[in-house]
Amino acid sequence: MNALTKFSLLVQGRFGRKRLRRIGLGSIPFIFLLTLWQMNTTFEWLAPVFIPSIGGVIDAIFILQSDCGGVWDILSLDNTCLMTTHILSSIGRVLLAAVIGIPLGIIFGILAGMNRLISTVLEPVGVFANSISGIAWVPLAIVWFGVGWMTTLFIMLNTVFWLMFFNAMLGTRGIAKVYEQSVLTLGGSRWNIFIQVYLPGAMPSIITGMRMSLGFGWRALIAAEMIGGDSGLGFMIFTAAEEFNVEQVFLGVIVISIIYLATDHYLLGPLEKWTIHRWGLTWKPT
Amino acid sequence: MTAKLVVQGLSHHYPDEYTGVSVHALDDINLEVNDGEFVAIVGPSGCGKTTLLNILAGLLRYREGNATVDGKKIDGPGPDRGVVFQEHAILPWRTVAGNIGHGLELQKIPRQERQDRVAEYIELVGLVGFEDRYPHELSGGMKQRCAVARTLCADPEIMLMDEPFAAVDAQTRITLQEELIRIAIATKKTILFITHAVDEAAFLGDRCFVFSRRPGRLRETVHINIPRAERNWGDIAANPEFVRARDRILALVREEVIADDR
Repeated sequence: MNALTKFSLLVQGRFGRKRLRRIGLGSIPFIFLLTLWQMNTTFEWLAPVFIPSIGGVIDAIFILQSDCGGVWDILSLDNTCLMTTHILSSIGRVLLAAVIGIPLGIIFGILAGMNRLISTVLEPVGVFANSISGIAWVPLAIVWFGVGWMTTLFIMLNTVFWLMFFNAMLGTRGIAKVYEQSVLTLGGSRWNIFIQVYLPGAMPSIITGMRMSLGFGWRALIAAEMIGGDSGLGFMIFTAAEEFNVEQVFLGVIVISIIYLATDHYLLGPLEKWTIHRWGLTWKPT
Repeated sequence: MTAKLVVQGLSHHYPDEYTGVSVHALDDINLEVNDGEFVAIVGPSGCGKTTLLNILAGLLRYREGNATVDGKKIDGPGPDRGVVFQEHAILPWRTVAGNIGHGLELQKIPRQERQDRVAEYIELVGLVGFEDRYPHELSGGMKQRCAVARTLCADPEIMLMDEPFAAVDAQTRITLQEELIRIAIATKKTILFITHAVDEAAFLGDRCFVFSRRPGRLRETVHINIPRAERNWGDIAANPEFVRARDRILALVREEVIADDR
């Protein structure tokens, strides 16, 4: 057995054949794009002012972090570690909006799914709020809250809350009545039903809602940071573009998508596995 | 014998889901179920059997007539009346043990006692080894065993069963019926069992109430005098009492169905 076969068996054993296959197939488009990108630099189809080289984008990281004094500077969001400061402040805003908006949206959504009166009151205003895209609120939010984190939080909450609300409401309405009845006849209270029937029963929709609100929330955040922010990846991209620094623009865009992919994979994936896959509430890849 | 469940002059109307026209579901029902008795209710579909069960379970409000358990008027659901539903009503997000112990959990029984009693009922319905499985990993018959155990484990005064074996295959149904007889012997529970299968009613019930087509009335009570110990599918088909009771129930149900077709 030569070293290469040995290595490939080791990798297969570690990750599993199916998973490797999935990763391999999924990365084809990315490899294609990267190749095209490198070819552009090699053959100089478009000037580096429009499309920078891969090396240039990587260099941008070091330029942004050049004066960084270590971990403490990174964590204290010091202006010398610009790259990580922007990343961390964006992530912080997403987390804040998620921590406030997701539970509130779930609670009101389930209540609206349980109760006709609540849904009749809240549904029209929800449709109204949803019809206005997140960015449209930015000018007003700047007038109200000024440039900074309050504006971005407001924009994101607008997006996250209503998406969670509608998904949780529809999920709750789709739960078979018999589950509720069975818990009632076992002596359960309305509160028991909320926690033990509606919350887990609406989980497939709630996770879809989380996925949507994180996706749309990120987009709204980047847009909000561009116009009404004083830090964050959107702000970084916007200021870089004003200085014709395409490397930093590219870097910002790539970092945003990597962060989103990671959240989806490491947060929502396990949540799905622990809830709806374990309970058999969704189809499973065979 | 004392009457456990008494229903007097119970009538029920409800508006049709689509047309809004008032439907007369039950008409002047009078019946008694004794303590420890197994009563089957048979009737053509749409005769108000399930409406009656929902009223007795406290899931449906009634205005005309009266229904009492141990002399107490039925007003809302309560742990004194356990229900086994038609569909698979066990919660998909709870394990077998979690579902069976659910009633005890809601009654705030301490963990240790709960675990002991759950283990006892898992044994009784033959689900040993499946405690930590989720419902989607079980067969249809096992799901219904779990549903029966869940209701039993909460220790109700009366078990209300709404066509619980209608959705399982024929072989499994026979096994489940024999198991239910065994459980009735072991637990001495009062059981009200709704079905549209004549064989099932004659096999399980000490008595069988035959309902008329809509509006549901109690048409006739058929007594089935067979000791529980003799109720197994191997012997019962040759038992003249079983044959008599089954044929009588069948004749009554047929009359109702034929009259309905006209």
